[in-house]
Amino acid sequence: MTTHTDINEKESPMNASLVKLSNIKKVFYTDDVETHALNEINLEIKKGEFLSITGPSGCGKSTLLSLLGLLDTSTGGKYELAGHDAVELNRDERARIRNKEIGFVFQAFNLISDMSVAENVELPLTYRSDLSKADRKKMVDDALEKVDMLHRANHFPSQLSGGQQQRVAVARAISGKPSLILADEPTGNLDSKNAQSVMSLLDDLHEQGATICMVTHDPKSAARAQRTIEVFDGKIVADRSTDKAPAIAV
Amino acid sequence: MSLSIDIKYAARLLSKKPGFTALTVSIVAVGLGLTLYTFSLLNGLLFKPLSFADNKPIYAIESPYDHTHLARREIMAIDIYNLKKDTSLIADIGVYQEGTTFVGGTNDGLRKYNSSYVSANMFGFTGVQALHGRGLLPEDHLEGAEQVIVLGYDMWQSYFNGDPDIVGTIVPIDGSEPTRVVGVMPQGFAFPSIAEIWQPLPNSVVNPTTRERSFVFAFAKLADGVSLSQARLALDAKSKEIEADVGDDITWLIGPSGKYLTIEPMKKANITQYYGMFIALLVVVFLILVLACINVGNLLLARVNERIKEVAIRVALGVPKQRLILQMLWESIFICLLGGFLAVLLAGWGLEITNQVFDNTYEVDNLKPFWWHVSLDSQALLVLALTIVGMILVTGLMPAWRALTGDFNAVLRDGTRGALGKKAAKTTKVLVISEILLSCVVLIMATVLLVSSYNAGNADYGIETENRLTAQLQLAPSNYPIRPDTEHEDRLARSKFYYDLKAELESRDNIIDVAYMSQLPGTGGGTSYFVIEGQEKEVIEENPFSNNEGAATDSWDALGMQIIQGRDFDYRDANQDARSIIVNESISKDFFPNGDAIGKRVRRANRDDAEWYTIVGVVSDTYHGSTMEFSSAAYNTYHSMDNAGMFRTMTAIHYTGSEAQARQSLFDAVNTVDPDVGIFHVQSYDALIAKPILLIAAVSKIFLICGVVAAFLAASGIYAVAANSVQQRTQEIGIRRALGSPDKGIIRLFMGQATWQLLVGLSIGLAMSIWLISIMSSTMIFSQLSYIIGLAGMPLLIAAMVLIATFIPTKKVVKMEPSNALHHN
Repeated sequence: MTTHTDINEKESPMNASLVKLSNIKKVFYTDDVETHALNEINLEIKKGEFLSITGPSGCGKSTLLSLLGLLDTSTGGKYELAGHDAVELNRDERARIRNKEIGFVFQAFNLISDMSVAENVELPLTYRSDLSKADRKKMVDDALEKVDMLHRANHFPSQLSGGQQQRVAVARAISGKPSLILADEPTGNLDSKNAQSVMSLLDDLHEQGATICMVTHDPKSAARAQRTIEVFDGKIVADRSTDKAPAIAV
Repeated sequence: MSLSIDIKYAARLLSKKPGFTALTVSIVAVGLGLTLYTFSLLNGLLFKPLSFADNKPIYAIESPYDHTHLARREIMAIDIYNLKKDTSLIADIGVYQEGTTFVGGTNDGLRKYNSSYVSANMFGFTGVQALHGRGLLPEDHLEGAEQVIVLGYDMWQSYFNGDPDIVGTIVPIDGSEPTRVVGVMPQGFAFPSIAEIWQPLPNSVVNPTTRERSFVFAFAKLADGVSLSQARLALDAKSKEIEADVGDDITWLIGPSGKYLTIEPMKKANITQYYGMFIALLVVVFLILVLACINVGNLLLARVNERIKEVAIRVALGVPKQRLILQMLWESIFICLLGGFLAVLLAGWGLEITNQVFDNTYEVDNLKPFWWHVSLDSQALLVLALTIVGMILVTGLMPAWRALTGDFNAVLRDGTRGALGKKAAKTTKVLVISEILLSCVVLIMATVLLVSSYNAGNADYGIETENRLTAQLQLAPSNYPIRPDTEHEDRLARSKFYYDLKAELESRDNIIDVAYMSQLPGTGGGTSYFVIEGQEKEVIEENPFSNNEGAATDSWDALGMQIIQGRDFDYRDANQDARSIIVNESISKDFFPNGDAIGKRVRRANRDDAEWYTIVGVVSDTYHGSTMEFSSAAYNTYHSMDNAGMFRTMTAIHYTGSEAQARQSLFDAVNTVDPDVGIFHVQSYDALIAKPILLIAAVSKIFLICGVVAAFLAASGIYAVAANSVQQRTQEIGIRRALGSPDKGIIRLFMGQATWQLLVGLSIGLAMSIWLISIMSSTMIFSQLSYIIGLAGMPLLIAAMVLIATFIPTKKVVKMEPSNALHHN
């Protein structure tokens, strides 16, 4: 059994591989029907890279993102995360990596309505034992500051607009300073103005060195990534770089 | 048109999930069935006023109930007579005494009947006409008038074979008194309560002119427009007036409330000792109904949560608010109507069984009040209809409210956790807490009563009951009169009969021993305060209290009791001036710890001039009265019955062989010694002991059913509510896991919340239970074991149910991959 170590524990160069998928498969079984959501996926994401995943509905891009984020397990293949075999991780180790190294931004924001903005952002930090209350407070404030939502810290999600909710979701994703930010249609529920604002946030994060992997339908959003892969019928059918300059480490 | 679409749609939804439909209908049927049954039972026994053709409620006027002797108390006849004259609040009033009368002349034909000695106006008061002949007339009260009797229908049928020419015939009463039958009352009439025959009270009791020690119960109707509370105030004032006038003469009749005259509905006055238990039953059943409502409402709520997208689409399409509510109500209407129909069948069946239980309970002594026949009447059906409407509203409005208050925009967009909303989350918490507290109360009440009645049924009364036959013996007064000039000799003559019978019985091969006591251990149980010489207390109530019985010499072996110290009663105690007493071991140990009880003196505490009795012996402990009754006692004292000359006594016969042979021996021996002596209530000792708790045992069976129903409703309800609560939070669990919460963290979070809800629910539930138990414990004794199981065991059981009901669905959701949980709908 693999013993997990933090994927950031070794200093790795900006162009080192953070994610490496080899022949990844995902099959769903519904009664007697087998659905191959992903088939022989091979993908490498380098640290500091901003990758977008595009494709038609039902092509498997969200499934791919779930596998990358350890929200689901593959049916076959190999997944290395910062050089460690992620397939062999147990549930608790996966949870720990999700907590420390991965930040999620969902299309539907997925904020918990019973919690205030600050509490939502603090939530992943409360799962860490190495942070004091003061540390958590500072990290929450920093994250909310970054997304310009600090003034709304005590509000509840239902009191915010969709764009504001998504900014809070971004703050939650970055509050623990993860190595990898996974965004699933982050602008899917937003109007163009709010979508623009959220994409700018992601751009900023990328410029600050974050590795971002984003699923999107929107060609404009996809174009803001360094690299775009296109998924069709569970396979990567295209992998192209955009003209954006590589991210610079801060 | 739209209405029919909605009805069809609701019917289709129900038929699509037959398991769900069957579950909800059965919950409704059980909840409504119990409610209907309990209402009918209590309405028949307690709430529906006793009345006759004029529909005017009949009230009982008497002294406060004597809880220490478990007995209703009469009032002085002169006070009722004056009350009748002095107050205009009472429209009509009559008086009566209750007793037993022997009809027939010899042992073969002698039968004992419950008789009511009444004022002649009783027949006009009820407005019930005699079936044959007449009722009593005012002249029947007069001194020197011919002795007359009115027969009840059942005794006329059983004793006189329904002889149509019975009116006018002379029958011997109480052995030899010639009495003319003047009438036969119609079937079912037994007013005031259990009368099988009616005889006139003496004129000195009906129309007293002086304050003599004659006591009566009274029945009354209030004047038009007068309320019960007005009548109570008037009687309170009258009580004070009488007390001021006569003082000590009535002090012993004044209850703890300080009142002398009380007025209560007739039905309530008959079951004062069980009133608390019946009210507790009503509360428990009401809580079960609420529990059933919550369960069904929750199940329907869960259905709406499943269908929330469909509801959102309807809202988006512009469904009017009223129509949406109606759509939500249709399912409830179907479920509650079907459940209501089944409830009628269930309740009818339960009432039928109850009537059988009543008949069996009072088969030996016919002490069942005549209105104790329960059935489903129009009032009960009206209550059912109202309850169904209430249930439809509660169970239907819960999902309707959910349907109206959701964030449907969010639901239509994704159906995220945000769509559930704080209100729904709070509702779920309230539901879980309600389930916990209701289950707690119902299960505790059911357990405490069940365990206590079981313990009472299996209690150690300190006696042997195997191969023991019991019976009541009653001398014919005409054969054993007590005359002023030869009183002591007359009393000894009575006692001689008992000893002759004992010798006759013990000479037979199948009879080992014979005992006589005024009340046998396990029965009786009236208590009185007693004073120990040298240990007197200043306040009467600070003295110890004991049960006091008369006992014959050599009665201990037959009961399995032993003389521990001193001696048994003997010839010395038959002396007119003898004042000897035997006490039980507990008295000896508690008040004479040095073992020096013999020779010490005790007396009754309530009279300063009461005579001192010298302790001559100590016998083993027994328990008099049911161990469930407040009046029962562990301290017992025994007087010699020799010079008391008891008119009636209980006997216990220790036999070998069969019970039937022992019965035959008893009848043969009585025939040999004195054929005019009546033998009644012949039964095994076990049956005798069971008798004081038969009604409690019967009611505790209802509590058992309530307990089983409550356990089922609680378990299923708590699981459903908790599972639904977790289910609704599946996406939240997905979010938490996506953010890195370990499985244990999620489970800990949900279990922690469940524990908090448990603490709130159990705290309120325990407080309510203790309050209800305190109401019942004024007349009943609950065993320690029942408190332990009820107040500790049941909360633990509920805690286990809640924690399991939270753990299993939480574990199930936690096992899901976070990606599935996040997209859970």
